[in-house]
Amino acid sequence: MVELEETVEKLKAGIGADNVLEVKYQPPRNVFVLVKTEKLKDAVSCVMKELGYQYIITISGVDLIKQNQFEVIYHLSDYSNTISLKVRIPRDNPKVPTITDIIPGATLYEREVHDMFGIVAEGHPNLTKLLLADGWPDDLHPLRKDVTVKQIRERLEEERKKGVRGI
Amino acid sequence: MLEESERAIFEVPIGPQHPALKEPILLLFKIEGDTIVDVMARPAYTHRGVEKATEARNYIQNIYLCERVCGICSCIHTLVYTQGVEKLADVEPPPRAKYIRVIMSELERIHSHTLWLGVAAHELGFDTLFYYVWRDRELVMDLLELISGNRVNYAMSTVGGVRRDISDAVAHQIKKGMEILRKRLDVYTEVVEKEPTLRKRVIDVGKLSPHDAVALCAVGPTLRMTGVKRDVRADDPYQAYDEIPFNVATYDTGDVLAQIIVRVVETYEAANIIDYAIDHMPSGPIKVKVPWNIAPNEIITRGEAPRGELFYYFKSNGTEKPERVKIRTPTLGNIPAVCEMLKGYHIAEIPIVFAGIDPCLSCTARFAFIDERKGKSWVWSGDQLRTYRRKYYKRYGR
Repeated sequence: MVELEETVEKLKAGIGADNVLEVKYQPPRNVFVLVKTEKLKDAVSCVMKELGYQYIITISGVDLIKQNQFEVIYHLSDYSNTISLKVRIPRDNPKVPTITDIIPGATLYEREVHDMFGIVAEGHPNLTKLLLADGWPDDLHPLRKDVTVKQIRERLEEERKKGVRGI
Repeated sequence: MLEESERAIFEVPIGPQHPALKEPILLLFKIEGDTIVDVMARPAYTHRGVEKATEARNYIQNIYLCERVCGICSCIHTLVYTQGVEKLADVEPPPRAKYIRVIMSELERIHSHTLWLGVAAHELGFDTLFYYVWRDRELVMDLLELISGNRVNYAMSTVGGVRRDISDAVAHQIKKGMEILRKRLDVYTEVVEKEPTLRKRVIDVGKLSPHDAVALCAVGPTLRMTGVKRDVRADDPYQAYDEIPFNVATYDTGDVLAQIIVRVVETYEAANIIDYAIDHMPSGPIKVKVPWNIAPNEIITRGEAPRGELFYYFKSNGTEKPERVKIRTPTLGNIPAVCEMLKGYHIAEIPIVFAGIDPCLSCTARFAFIDERKGKSWVWSGDQLRTYRRKYYKRYGR
């Protein structure tokens, strides 16, 4: 815990304390840190390069439909402690900068979040479908809260009738 | 060396349905002559929308849903899931339940690693080893069945503890089983160390450097075979792992041989952990009550599955259903690494290198029949299968 508190202090010093909007500890070895979207890349490179973290576990997307926002969480780890960096982006223009130039292992996770929520990682080398079928409609993002299972079924049936293959 | 424009690069798609693959995945290879230049993977032909489904079910129903994410590592999925819900609700499971969970997940690790060793032997064309290993795997399968009544989905962990206790008689059986297992593992260690036909196929094949393994965020045995000593059980101990001494198995060559050795050593370690856990298992209750509705909160939780780190993210909203459950299975983390491992090797080495990470893409284990002429399909139950087996062996078997 003490180690993690020090790490958060260093992160605050690295990107500026007023760019860190919220810090929430989850004992014993995790912390959620909300940062400003424009400071995301600085925060990731600070954690990875200066604080000695090596590994991204995954990227989680959360649909905060009441606030009309998406939350994107980057779970960075030094294998023992985890810093979960959060950003909040508007729901009608969901864009985050890519972090694949800092962490090559994040490629698939950015594609997954793009598939499921339609969150675009700007600058990603190959932001094509990963988990959804080839013929899946581009504007249907299944994990969004306003998309129900029934809607997905009906939409896919419609697409099949139109002659789209591979769904 | 030819100029870039003169080099003939062919695209060879392998999968999603292919005899060399055990599960559906599309691997799109760029091949120059017989050498792999580049690989692209499309893993999700069996995507079932589990994350979406969790949002429509309550915390108890989700245990059984998450158990079915994977057929081989079903125990660790329920363990990490229930561990997450307990953290959300701020409940501590009783100590005895923690030990039972450790014993189950280590038994599962043994079953998964021996299954992998058999599959790897089969991919190498060494089917004798495959049959021997899978025969010995039955030992662990029988123990799992003895404890839980099931061979695949054990349904042991529940929110707040475990559903079944391990009695002294069963504990004695497990210890006896581990003794036999160790003797069999000695045989396999000897095979891996001495058998030239096996060693020639695996030494210096599918190499991965520690630098690449870390940069591509590989997990589990795929990371440890490059010499990076990382294991969630040791680095971020959960359940009773902080009370149990064990070694993290590593090997430094980073080829398929290292994968085999790491998994064999891990199987030994798992047997030791089980013995220690049985000897030091505290007595007491196995389950505590957890509230039905869980207050708004968010947490992450991790566990070491046989294939590597398993990760869950939870967000609750005050009702009996979760707001969001995010699951990251280890195979997804290892796909960038295996694409790197395949580069520069030959087509003939694809099956073993790909099997090397122990890919677990989908997990369905149903015996279904489809009669095309009559347009009918039906599913056999376990009992029907057993009757069929008995009849078959009476007629043809020895």
